[in-house]
Amino acid sequence: MQKLGEFKLPHFFNYPPYFTLQPVRDTREKQIQLWKELILDYCKIQKLFVIALEEEFPLFTNTVTERSLTNEAREAFLSALVSEGRAEWMDKGHRKCLILWHRIQDWADILLQFAKDNGLEDGVVTIEEIRFGTESQGTELHGIDRTILNRALKLLEQKGKLVVFKGTSTDDEGIKFSV
Amino acid sequence: MRRRPGIGGLQTAAAARDQYKKLGENVAKTRTDMMREQLSTFRSQLEDFARKHKNDIRKNPAFRSQFHEMCAKVGVDPLASNKGFWAELLGIGDFYYELGVQIVDICLATRPLNGGLINLQELCQLLRQRRKSDRGVVSEDDCLRAISKLKVLGSGFEVISVGKKKLVRSVPTELNKDHNEILELAQGQGFVTVDEVERRLSWTSGRAIDALDTLLDEGLAMIDDGHKDGKRRYWFPCVSPISSLTGIDSL
Repeated sequence: MQKLGEFKLPHFFNYPPYFTLQPVRDTREKQIQLWKELILDYCKIQKLFVIALEEEFPLFTNTVTERSLTNEAREAFLSALVSEGRAEWMDKGHRKCLILWHRIQDWADILLQFAKDNGLEDGVVTIEEIRFGTESQGTELHGIDRTILNRALKLLEQKGKLVVFKGTSTDDEGIKFSV
Repeated sequence: MRRRPGIGGLQTAAAARDQYKKLGENVAKTRTDMMREQLSTFRSQLEDFARKHKNDIRKNPAFRSQFHEMCAKVGVDPLASNKGFWAELLGIGDFYYELGVQIVDICLATRPLNGGLINLQELCQLLRQRRKSDRGVVSEDDCLRAISKLKVLGSGFEVISVGKKKLVRSVPTELNKDHNEILELAQGQGFVTVDEVERRLSWTSGRAIDALDTLLDEGLAMIDDGHKDGKRRYWFPCVSPISSLTGIDSL
């Protein structure tokens, strides 16, 4: 099986026609489904949160079969993810896409779990610590994208599970949990 | 016999002819009786054989295949009905029934990928993967038998030959001769181009495109515009080796 770094690629990745957007509806639907799963899996394993269409994204090119997804195809697959709620366009021009391999709700749950696991039910912690601190190391929170984290925090704030407060700089922004 | 002249001679000759005739009939009857008896003996010996080698028949595909041949020679079809002596004795009816169900399953699951046409070899491999530890190996011969039983359901299951390969069709799509020829051509590299079809089969451009478009619409072909030479390629999942298709792991 071909690998991209440590990531094992599925068989269809080596079948050239999958790199061309198929005209026949049923075939295209299947193709889109396969690519959606692949993109989500890849981003999850590699901890990638943003895909920029015009930049080189290793998943969109197969150097062995010498095929590359056209922009049209890339946009089609990402749009499908957006429709499913597993991604969001970050700009009107559809050039950058935020990948939600965990939905915002899932991230919220993970945050709550993090709080419980670290005895922070009534505690305070900085955004910085959540993203890069020692406690978050080894968890999915480590290295989380800022935008996504903010969204999850907002969701939890609305539910009264925490309060976000600003510090002297963005790095000092913190959270007080009330789980 | 001495020939005698006159009417007497003629009567003797007639009587002799009659006797020969009767003798001939007797011989014929005896031969038929003998054959019947031999057949009956053979049949009961076949039944004994089946009883004794039940396990081998269940587990060993080569053995099973030869057993079917033996049965066919004496006009016995162990699969003719799911009840009755043979089916009960060997449970072989169940075996093929189960196989049939699994084959239908696999064909349905792979249909989005190959348009309803799957290489027999690939089908068998997927079948084996799915059955894994189950009671013995499944051969292509077993698959073919199970599929022939499926035909009875009128479900559109059929085995067609394209070049050297056998493909199992699980959709009502009828493949005409033109389509068949393209599939055969595609067996070489897994794909064809319009140029190639025109050249190798001596067709007009229109005829080639027509046939290819139909195959595309039926989901049997996929287009590939990514080659650096800029020529569109039509790939046929059903003739490609297994490793180039997906879904294997999830089946």
